[in-house]
Amino acid sequence: MNQFRKTVLGLSTAICIMGMSAAAQAETLKIALAGPATGPVAQYGDMQKIGVMAAIEDINAAGGINGMQLEGVIYDDACDPKQAVAVANKIVNDGISHVVGHLCSSSTEPASDIYEEEGILMITAASTSPSITEKGHQMVFRTIGLDSLQGSLAADYIKSVKPKRLAVIHDKQQYGEGLATTVRDSLKGAGIEAAMFEGVTSGDKDFSALIAKLKKEGVDFVYYGGYHPELGLILRQSAEKGFNAQFMGPEGIVNADLAKIAGEAMEGVLATAPKSFDQNPVNQERVERIKAKGEDSTGPFVFTAYAAVEVMTNAMTETNSTDTEKLAEYIRANGVSTAIGDVKYDEKGDLTESTFLVYRLHKDGSKTAAE
Amino acid sequence: MSEFSLYLLQQLINGLTIGSTYALIAIGYTMVYGIIGMINFAHGEIYMIGSYVTFIVIAGLLGMGMVSLPIILIIALVIAIFIASTYGWTVERVAYRPLRGSNRLIPLISAIGMSIFLQNFVVLAQGARDVALPPQITGGWSFGDASSFEVSISYMQMMIFAATFITMTVLTLFISRSRMGRACRACSEDLGMTNLLGIDTNKIIALTFIIGAALAAVAGLLLGLYYGVINPFVGFIAGLKAFTAAVLGGIGSIPGAVLGGLLLGVTEAMTAAFFPAEYKDVVAFGLLVLILLVRPSGLLGKPEVEKV
Repeated sequence: MNQFRKTVLGLSTAICIMGMSAAAQAETLKIALAGPATGPVAQYGDMQKIGVMAAIEDINAAGGINGMQLEGVIYDDACDPKQAVAVANKIVNDGISHVVGHLCSSSTEPASDIYEEEGILMITAASTSPSITEKGHQMVFRTIGLDSLQGSLAADYIKSVKPKRLAVIHDKQQYGEGLATTVRDSLKGAGIEAAMFEGVTSGDKDFSALIAKLKKEGVDFVYYGGYHPELGLILRQSAEKGFNAQFMGPEGIVNADLAKIAGEAMEGVLATAPKSFDQNPVNQERVERIKAKGEDSTGPFVFTAYAAVEVMTNAMTETNSTDTEKLAEYIRANGVSTAIGDVKYDEKGDLTESTFLVYRLHKDGSKTAAE
Repeated sequence: MSEFSLYLLQQLINGLTIGSTYALIAIGYTMVYGIIGMINFAHGEIYMIGSYVTFIVIAGLLGMGMVSLPIILIIALVIAIFIASTYGWTVERVAYRPLRGSNRLIPLISAIGMSIFLQNFVVLAQGARDVALPPQITGGWSFGDASSFEVSISYMQMMIFAATFITMTVLTLFISRSRMGRACRACSEDLGMTNLLGIDTNKIIALTFIIGAALAAVAGLLLGLYYGVINPFVGFIAGLKAFTAAVLGGIGSIPGAVLGGLLLGVTEAMTAAFFPAEYKDVVAFGLLVLILLVRPSGLLGKPEVEKV
């Protein structure tokens, strides 16, 4: 942002603040919520929405922030990088300077450049690609661990299982291929060579050729880097073709739709997912309030999204300001106590501690910690 | 048989399955092109609507407690064909007929508009999310040695082969034997002349759209059941692949569409079988370019004759 725009923004903020004191307590602070509300991965956008809205309601019920009530404004990026950029520009236009989102790493990355340039504070509750925080952005944070952590956690688990033939499959997207590469490379270091390393096309429906190949290679363990629509079909078609290997995926597959697509075939699939914060006793009351609204509190991003709001609002209370530069500085320097525990940030805006565990998924939508 | 030949056979079966569904959709493109010389870009969406109708009917009948699967499938097929045909007819009535005789680019744009309209209409009516149907036809038949490589053909795959084969035969008989079929062939040869000879060409063109849509509905039912997951955007990719198949086989030729579909399906499966799976589209479309360079009118297409 150039100096002139900064001044203009500063002035308009000053005018807003003056206007605010005149309008007294009725003022609201808008927080943008950016993620997919439509499209194939909209379920994850729902999780994020449930968490953010729950946090906003809880904070408003407790009197708001610095006398202001919070309001969540939803923006739909459909997990499409092009639309994410349009959404980011719209948020800038709408004068909102606090964003929770985006969700898909491939959307978060281009959007984060815009937020950084415009001085908008962004906290993603779901994007795990390491490259997002590698650009030296000051305004970008997350409340979720990195792919690299998730990948090495998966690799450690695979090491302990010692599969006879391992295949690593991915969907050629930033998130999936990044994870698959991490898993393959860290296993190679430990002397486990992947028999196959291949990409599929996201949106594809027919995986029979791939499955026949896995069968021929005698693969007994498949790591899949990607999201549930493709893995669901792979599992379903594998069962039809009598291919019974152990499948494992990242948190992008943890979703009730996996069971809808794959049916019985998804029972026992492994996944690395954020810890089940909804099972933590400290979140008991929050979970009950979400359930009382008829919403699902078990999604992997519900409480990371809840925490994203908390990180922002906590910094606002502590600094008694909504100025994003001050907030970013505060967040980087101080830890915050949230629904996902006490979080601390490193220089890049990443969490200092991983939040992932290996889970076994079940067809009723539940998950249990893997042995 | 050796492990290798069993594997090859398995991949051939996989390729033919997907290829036959490409062929079913490709016929819709090729028939419309054969008669009015235009690409119906809304055809992929008709296929998608066929899938949706199938899902809704099957879920509804199962919900009503009906258990006999063949009856459910037949009811779903009839309703899907009826509704998809209605859409096909409407597309022709709304996006093509009023523009007949105008510049060729104009109906092309209106067809693209129709495609976007239908896609968004389904998004609004049914939601943008994936809709899943649990597997209805399970099980299969397998042979070969379990210790080396076991070839498996699911009942669903067999059903796809059978349905495609039956549909093709019926269509071929209709085109070559019936009065209407003869009128279709006449239209495809010379639309203006056929009109002069007293055949209602508007009716024949509408019929072509209806037949194409009915075949797309059959493909929608089969693929919907096979994959079990649909969303309002499946028509785009399926349409693109089928269009490719039609061009590959020689657009305007029905046997060409079938051949093109099967060739495309088998090429994809074989590429995925021996190279990393991500190359399958590269090879399939590379093949398309190569064939069009050598035979610009496609495998079975007639070379364009300049009409004076």
